[in-house]
Amino acid sequence: MKSDLNDSELLRSMLAGDEEALTVLYRRRQGAVYRFALQMSGSKTVAEDVTQEVFLFLMRDGQVFDPAKGSVSAFLLGVARNYVLRRMRVEQQLMPLGDDVDDDVPVLHASNDLCPLEDLTRAETIESVRRAVLSLPSKYREVVVLCELQDISYGETAEILGCAIGTVRSRLHRARALLLAKLRPAAEAEDADSATVKSARCFA
Amino acid sequence: MNQRFENDEEMLTRGLEALASEMKDLEAPEHVEVKLLEAFRARKVVPISTRRWTSQRYWLAAVAAVLLIAMSVVALRWRSAEKPAETFAGRREPETPKVVPPQEETTRPVEYQAVNQPSPRSYPKRIRHPRVPSSENPRVASTRPSEIATDFIPLRYMNVANLQEGGQIVRVEVPRSALANFGLPVNMDRYNERVKADVLYGVDGLAHAIRFVK
Repeated sequence: MKSDLNDSELLRSMLAGDEEALTVLYRRRQGAVYRFALQMSGSKTVAEDVTQEVFLFLMRDGQVFDPAKGSVSAFLLGVARNYVLRRMRVEQQLMPLGDDVDDDVPVLHASNDLCPLEDLTRAETIESVRRAVLSLPSKYREVVVLCELQDISYGETAEILGCAIGTVRSRLHRARALLLAKLRPAAEAEDADSATVKSARCFA
Repeated sequence: MNQRFENDEEMLTRGLEALASEMKDLEAPEHVEVKLLEAFRARKVVPISTRRWTSQRYWLAAVAAVLLIAMSVVALRWRSAEKPAETFAGRREPETPKVVPPQEETTRPVEYQAVNQPSPRSYPKRIRHPRVPSSENPRVASTRPSEIATDFIPLRYMNVANLQEGGQIVRVEVPRSALANFGLPVNMDRYNERVKADVLYGVDGLAHAIRFVK
């Protein structure tokens, strides 16, 4: 069974021409690559293209992977990072996003466990966090995406980014501070709105 | 203040967790996988043995290139060794100014014959133009292989244009002191000796130029 093989063995089989190995490896790793690209770019189109490019690269130049340097997963995310950054450079999307609504925003599904008001609040929170993450400079965004959203360890993140763990930690710290600075005014405005409504009700 | 900061941090962490959980099931669409598999089938991944063959082909190409270069060098050397012989055989005598009738062998001015012997390496052939003699620069020339002669020096009452009309050359002997009249150096030890000279007579019967022969 191919699914019992680890990533390195699958990669070797794939390079030898085994299509099933490619299929298993792709199905195992495409989700992480796609989500990373989506969270980095905020665009489904870019995420699809990047996912395809990453696996095409693996088919073409997979022999450059060195197991001594890290896992296949980290290798794929490193390649994905390069493609995303290149794509964003080309499309000049490195500027912070404004208030324009992106037509590629992924649909956020409401939870069935919550009441409609809580559901709405949660969806709004998620949307504001997503926008805040997308507005970060790329070097901070990538650590947030990898460490916070993809739940990848600092060590593996350092491998993917090709930097020291200390750098990952400091960037993450700085990124969280930036996110808080971006999210606080929105939360305060929300509080102010609810206070206004409350006082209006009292006045009425 | 600290309490607020902790609240903010907690809020941020919750927000990030919520976003992560919302996106954790997202995957690339089906068509990406389909396209990849099509690309994989179309590409026909090169097995390792073929890659070895590719490197062998590179070696073969390199060896062939070296052989080709070696053959080219040999051919060039062979050709350059053959060329001088052909040149020597096919080389003509340098053209001379037609101031002398060709039937008089003794008066035919063959300039630079001694110094311009065709050497095996003299290639390609150079075209020589007829020279106009000048009194300021009497260059040495020879009429026969054993003789060395100056260029024709126009006499005082003639100009250079008259030398082009042709005429007749007469071998004479003049006193060595006559060399001084034409600005040539004279060996004072042999001042009284005579020296051979060719006098060029024009069609008008006048002496137009003179050259000294050794």
